[in-house]
This record gives sequence, structure tokens and C-alpha cells, in this order.
Amino acid sequence: MVLDPAHGGTDLGARGTGGIHESDIVLEFTAQLRTALEAQGFQVVQTRQGNANPSFDDRSAMANAQRGSIFVTLHIASTGVPGTARVYVMNDLASAAGATGLIPWDRAQAPFISLSRKLGDQVSALLAQRFKGSPAVAQTASVRQLRTTAAPAIAVEISSVTVEDRALLDHMAPGIADAIARGAATFRPTYVVPANLGERP
Amino acid sequence: MTPRWRYWFLGALVLAVVIAAIYLPILRRNIRQAAKLQQRSEEQARRELTQPTVINPSDPKVKAKLFWASGADDGTLSAVNVELPLSNDPVLRAKQVLNTLLAGPVDTELRTVPPDAALLAFYLLPDGTAIADFSEALATSIPSGIESEQMAVDSIARTLEANVPKVRRLKILIHGQEVETLAGHLDLSQVFLVNANAAIAPRADATGAPLSTGAGQQLTPVSAAVKLAAPATKP
Repeated sequence: MVLDPAHGGTDLGARGTGGIHESDIVLEFTAQLRTALEAQGFQVVQTRQGNANPSFDDRSAMANAQRGSIFVTLHIASTGVPGTARVYVMNDLASAAGATGLIPWDRAQAPFISLSRKLGDQVSALLAQRFKGSPAVAQTASVRQLRTTAAPAIAVEISSVTVEDRALLDHMAPGIADAIARGAATFRPTYVVPANLGERP
Repeated sequence: MTPRWRYWFLGALVLAVVIAAIYLPILRRNIRQAAKLQQRSEEQARRELTQPTVINPSDPKVKAKLFWASGADDGTLSAVNVELPLSNDPVLRAKQVLNTLLAGPVDTELRTVPPDAALLAFYLLPDGTAIADFSEALATSIPSGIESEQMAVDSIARTLEANVPKVRRLKILIHGQEVETLAGHLDLSQVFLVNANAAIAPRADATGAPLSTGAGQQLTPVSAAVKLAAPATKP
């Protein structure tokens, strides 16, 4: 599992009026998610440990260098109903692979879109059970981070930095970690990397 | 210093403190008002400069379909019919509908783009690719997040799709520059396919692969190959 706490460094991400920064909170969520995933037997790699801000491509490269990885990028929104969470998968992308079988970097997600959708739906269903008002299926969006990732990849966005009391977000962390870890564990046996990466599975 | 002078000096000092205590809040309020006025006039000037496209009353009035937030708190948009005199020229028409979209709905809670964002330029290439150049406020004033950024781009693209049939693809620039994301999440490096049914010969895609979308669907980015990623293998 490659976990990506979004933003970092000078990029604070979404900022709440109470001094809440997305880049800080996602790091804390990632720590709890890491523990939950390791309990499920996953090996975990993080795109950042501290207050660094690797580029989108550097983060994708970490996932693309792993064999058969699953990628989860964590975000806190500045909109949405507080106490809910949404899962996003990449929109449809034109796939293309040359005779070499290599995947174009900026369409690296294309062969994995249906796998990402399957993973996204499983995690969404679990999040919807836990956090009322969250959608039960994954949404699609042109998320920059997902496009260059050659693995089943989802973005989980939690609402929101606008909460007056940060404790509301902190209370969500164990439920978010559990839903993603259980979703990934359910998805794992069905994860077969497409034989021809130029084609959609 | 004689006691008499000390008395006058202390009196003057107390008076100065009293005057300052009364005057300082007034001064602070005046400075704040002046700053606000300056900000407003700058914004007004920018809008006047960047939005020269005025609605021409002699243009035929049509029911334009503008997409703002539905208010359902689920990131969806809903179409609002607004009767506008719209030009038959696709570029002018696009500017008219986008400026109306940027002006916002009656209920400001349903806005999808920041109130200070402005359309700086709009071009339409012969193959149906539209290039919409927005002011920096579109990227800097939008609430950061996947949902809010997706709603902003969807509302722009779907408004164009519904009102300017010649627009087939959309490229968004910020202050004349290509940017990687809108506000840290949504990919703007790509060209969005907005109207697959437009009566314009499709431009050959890098892959030739069919790209499908249509009204009501979310946008599909069209990309071009740049570098290559090594294929993954079985887990």
C-alpha cells in the first residue's frame, strides 16, 4: 500500500478558520491508516513522512516503482458536510501503450481505472456505513495525483477543515482508517494486474 | 521644571492621551474603509477591463442554461434557465454566458466560482477547442478541495456545452498560463472533452482511441503522451 498524505511543506492545503491545516491532519490520519493496514498484513510505504512536499510525479513514482501496489491519497476538504467522507477515482482516460508495452506517464492510470473503481466502491460502501451522508459509491474526478499513478488508486476526501472543533476530525480518523483498511483487504484477492497494460481490464 | 509647568505639562499629556483614545478608533475605521474602497475600486476596474463583452439588447433573447450548485451538499450541479440576449457568434456567446455564470446565481450560496474571478480572454480554435483564460482569483479564491474544484470546472464546461454547441474541448488557463491544478487537486494540464456531439470534425487524438462523454456526464480529460511509466506486474 502506498499512502499519500497530500500537500505538505509550504503547501498547507485547505485551511480552516480555527488554524486547521489539511497538510497536518492528513499526516495524522495516515499514521492511523498505516497501523490499520499493517494489522491487515499490508506492507506500507508513505510518500512523505514529515513536512515535505514531493511533486505529484514524485509521489506517483513511489507507487509506480512498487510491484502490484495500491495507492491511497488522503485529503481534507474545505467544503462538504462535516463528518462525511468521499472517495474519488480518476475519470475515464484514453489508454495507449506502444509496441514496447510501456504506459504513457501522464495516462498511467488508464489501465487501472476499473480496478480503481472497484476499490473505490468497496471503500465508499464502508465509509457510508460509518459516516452518515457519505456517498455509497466512488465519485469520479480529474484528480491530478491519480492520473500518473500506475496502480489501483483512490483519493479519500474528508469534510472538512471548516469544523469549529478539531476533535470532530480527530474522532473520524479511526473510522476512516478502518474503512480503508477493510476495503483494501476485500479488494486484495480480486487484484489481478491487467495482462496487457495498454488495454483497459 | 516648576510645579506650575509640571501641572500644565501633565495636563497636556492627559489631554493628548484622551484625544488619542477618541481619535485612534476613528482613524482605524477610516483606514479600514479606505482599504475596502480601494479594493472594491480595483476589483471594479479589473472587471471593467477584463469584461468588455456586454450583453447587446439587439441580440435575440434565448433561454441560456447555466450550471450552478444544486444546493444538495453532494457536489452536484443543477441547470438554471436564464433568459439572455445572446450573440450568434460562438466566441461572443461563450463570453456572455461565462460572464453571467461568473456573476453568480441569485442565491450566492450556490456559486461554483469565486465572486472575484474574471474571464480574461476566450478563444475558439477551428477544431472546436475552446481556450478560456481566467484571472488568478479562480485559483486562489476557490475553496481548496477535490469536490469544490470539480464543481467549478464542471459548471464552466457544462455551461459552455449547453449554450455554445461549437465548443468541443475546453482548455482552462489561469492568467494566461497553463497550470498543473486549479487549487492543488483538480487537473488543469489536460484538455477537457465537453461536447462529443458537436458538428465539428474530431481532432485526431494521440492514440486514436474513442473518447466518450455527453451531456450530464462528468468531464473527461484528453491527454497527450509525454513520458513513460514502467508497467506494473502482478502483486
